[in-house]
Amino acid sequence: MKTVLIKTHEAWLEMLMAGFMSHTQSRQRLFDFSDILWRHFTWIEHALIESGEAYDYDRDNIPIKVDRLDDMLRAIVSRLLEIDLQLVGLEDRALASRISTDIAYMVDVLHGMNDEVVTAFNMERKMPGMDLSEEARDALTLFLFDESYKEYELIMIYNYLKAHSSDAYLNRIFQILIDESFFHLKQFGEMMAQMGILAVPRVLMKELYQVEDVIAFLKEGIEEEIAAKDECRKLSDAVGKDAPQLAKFFDFINYQENYHIELMTEALAHFKKERHG
Amino acid sequence: MSMDAMVLDHMMNPKNYGTLPTANAEGIGKNPQNGEKVVIYIHVKEDEEKPYIDDVAFQAIGCTTTIVAGSMLTEEAKGLTLDGAQNLVAATMQLLEKLPPEDAACSEMVALAIKAAVDTYEKRKEEGEYPPITYQVTNDCTPKEENAQ
Repeated sequence: MKTVLIKTHEAWLEMLMAGFMSHTQSRQRLFDFSDILWRHFTWIEHALIESGEAYDYDRDNIPIKVDRLDDMLRAIVSRLLEIDLQLVGLEDRALASRISTDIAYMVDVLHGMNDEVVTAFNMERKMPGMDLSEEARDALTLFLFDESYKEYELIMIYNYLKAHSSDAYLNRIFQILIDESFFHLKQFGEMMAQMGILAVPRVLMKELYQVEDVIAFLKEGIEEEIAAKDECRKLSDAVGKDAPQLAKFFDFINYQENYHIELMTEALAHFKKERHG
Repeated sequence: MSMDAMVLDHMMNPKNYGTLPTANAEGIGKNPQNGEKVVIYIHVKEDEEKPYIDDVAFQAIGCTTTIVAGSMLTEEAKGLTLDGAQNLVAATMQLLEKLPPEDAACSEMVALAIKAAVDTYEKRKEEGEYPPITYQVTNDCTPKEENAQ
């Protein structure tokens, strides 16, 4: 079952990356499929927890640098078929059957998708309709790499906490934080693809999500969110002169961090109350 | 960080990122001020007259600059003898002296992790179960072992 989890993790990210690569109506389909694979991932994780089998979020590096979308789609189909084969070993036959029928449909749709030229790796670092200075371009590049990884990290951390919690109050908070990070990851991934610097976030170190002290983690997390607000503000200033629309977007992301801070503050108060009675 | 095509490639496809199941030593570089750290895994080939690093990998909790430094320095370390790896660390530290401390910290953390991995390997020759050595980044480039035995 662990292998199914790892392969599904890889297929989810691969499908998401394919969505960023597409310039056509296939794009939304690929994003929808990546969301389905994410949900498969959480189902399999839940089954692992129920069975008491140890697991982690390790996975292989995922090669995505292609010139044609067809090459990516073929790789995804091959991975999905591999998952389908591995499902034979899944004890929960109903879950295996549900995943298998999804895979059959997705493979069918992927086979029918049109090929496209992929520009997501050309390293041109140009944003459509914007003339960024070199300084602004470098600042934006660094921000996108740092923050796309950070959003992936947050998705996985909050998912791990949620998977191991049966507290409805906390799980509402974790789910909103996961959804917010998904939105940000998609925004940043889209910009990376437009700039020709698309990349899969790197594998997480276990100690990040296997949180030993949740209170300390949340306190540090609030500090990090405050720092992230500052990074957004700096980036907004850096690109503001050349690209006011982009500056507005980063102001928006900056203000969005206020939701995260509020949610984490609520979670922190809840944990403290539980710990101290 | 100047972003030429080579640096961008290291950002997009970091070389040697991950763990190394065959590793026979690990080392850690740590920045105690912000909790960032780098773990280096090395496999030293021992059936040679001069043992050398035949495989290396790294993982990091850190920023993109740390990842680029890890990618570049592990590429450099691959194939080096243990003395060669120590020379690489020393040369890197010398280069970093010319940078302001805040710019140097990420690369210093990677270099110290390589040094820690090589030192761990040497210690394990005397004491097989020696734990991975951790060095903390310092402004004066003098590594201090965190868990000295």
